[in-house]
Amino acid sequence: MNGLQRMHKVLKLEEPDRVPHFEFLIDKKVRNGIKPGISAEEIIDYLDIDGIGVGDKGSAHRYTPIDEAKKVYRDQWGAIVKFSEESAGIPTEPAIKSDSDFDNYVMPDPDEDWRYDNLKKAVQRLKGEKAIFCGVTDVFDIVKESFLGDIALFTDLIRNPGLVHRMSQGVLDYQLKYITNCAEAGADFFFINGDYAVTNGPMVSPKMAAEFLMPYLKPIVDHVHKLGSFCFKHSDGLLWPLFDLIVATGVDGIHPIDPEAGMDMGEAKARYGDKICLLGNVDCGPLLTWGTAEEVRQSTKECLRKGGKGGGLICMSSNSIHSGVKPENYMAMVETIHEYGQYPLEDRFDNLVIPGSGKWS
Amino acid sequence: MSDLGKIKDSLISGDTEKTEALTRAALEAGVAAKEILDKSLVPGLDEVGRKFQAGEYFFPELLVAGEATKAAMACLKPSLSSGGATTVGKYVIGTVKGDIHDIGKNIVIMMLEGNGWDVTDLGTDVPADQFCQAVKDEACQVLGLAALLTTTIPRLVETIEALKASGLRDKVKVMVGGVSVSQDYADQIGADAYGRDAFEAVVKARKFIGKS
Repeated sequence: MNGLQRMHKVLKLEEPDRVPHFEFLIDKKVRNGIKPGISAEEIIDYLDIDGIGVGDKGSAHRYTPIDEAKKVYRDQWGAIVKFSEESAGIPTEPAIKSDSDFDNYVMPDPDEDWRYDNLKKAVQRLKGEKAIFCGVTDVFDIVKESFLGDIALFTDLIRNPGLVHRMSQGVLDYQLKYITNCAEAGADFFFINGDYAVTNGPMVSPKMAAEFLMPYLKPIVDHVHKLGSFCFKHSDGLLWPLFDLIVATGVDGIHPIDPEAGMDMGEAKARYGDKICLLGNVDCGPLLTWGTAEEVRQSTKECLRKGGKGGGLICMSSNSIHSGVKPENYMAMVETIHEYGQYPLEDRFDNLVIPGSGKWS
Repeated sequence: MSDLGKIKDSLISGDTEKTEALTRAALEAGVAAKEILDKSLVPGLDEVGRKFQAGEYFFPELLVAGEATKAAMACLKPSLSSGGATTVGKYVIGTVKGDIHDIGKNIVIMMLEGNGWDVTDLGTDVPADQFCQAVKDEACQVLGLAALLTTTIPRLVETIEALKASGLRDKVKVMVGGVSVSQDYADQIGADAYGRDAFEAVVKARKFIGKS
């Protein structure tokens, strides 16, 4: 069974030969620590990973330099974005400051060929053998980060909801076209990136999520399904209060069941394991950054034990293999998935027990 | 309901125009600015904090309440200064070097200002020596350090070490916060407090200056 076949099997909530694994990002520093000079595509074969992630922000969005020495750019939506050594770009000045700014706004063109160069490279090398995941930034995330800025977005949800809906519809139209183009270029799956929650809970109430978030997630999920593909939703944070709403959009899986926010893979399995695929949840915060390889092995085994029964689990980190992750810890995680993720899991775990009831409601 | 109670309620509901108008009217009616601060704005923000921590309020409700507080504070400031009652204390805050996230920090600032603190925001990606200089220049009682990324958490301890090396550590209380920071980590690196969220940060800052 190859990586793509494993993913298809778990999407049907069936058991493949072993629990599949992939990461949306494996940082260059970590890759170099594993094998100097190895590329993002080469490490997939080298570590026998089951899929590759091709993000839109990293390779399909245009950034125009403003001050390269200070790592300041204008993103394709019009926001000023600053990069740091440790993090991806964070908008420091939003694109839209008033309704009239948006009246004259022209969306970027999703049909520009260069946007799909990285995806085509991955397709050429891995198509049919490994699962090719395309990252699509959530509409809410783009409106929050690039169009309005987070503070203005949150206040406009109450004070100027019409503007938020107009922007969201514009970004949605762009993303639907982008998804069509990615599918035509050979993408297997779609990963909708963008947080709805922080460690303590959702950013907005379930009522607001139903009004402002889900109407722009569901059309994406429906569109992906119409194209014959599958759609996963990523959001860090304590997501339980929004979980039912997200599942109701028809998504095929949710990542990462954030352990830093106290979310438990066993509870997710008990509640949603017969409905959707679960993706996660080895902690890429303190554990993969500062923990020992043995601690990583234990935690990875726990993830497999709690989420793997009957299929439906893609074992991943809780966000990404970022620059701070110890290479030996990522290696320990991958080796543990390969060793202990072999089905039937009952042969590897004495107590493959799923909790009967959750502590949350 | 008293005028002070109405100001508090309009703040809690995030009605900026009403909060501002009621605050002006109270001042014109002779209510002392300090009384409006202590009996309307501070308890109003406390209630907003309680609702946020209880999962009744989320970022939008929190931020519109913050806007209302800011509008009221702008009305009170001239009277507070002329009456000799200045701010409750001086707070310097920033996100550590390598990290450019700032929403959590910005919410903390909003809540501190609403509680009468004079806050200096050093922004994001702030090196340790800039924090030290600000502690020296601003003579603040509290220094708040934010770190969102796991990879930038070590900058917290570097900043505390830099304060020690500059002879400033015992002149300021250091509070830390951010997604991957915990009480255990704060204890481990010798911070004076950890703020789980903006409201905990405000409550703990109050304690530092002898107010509960």
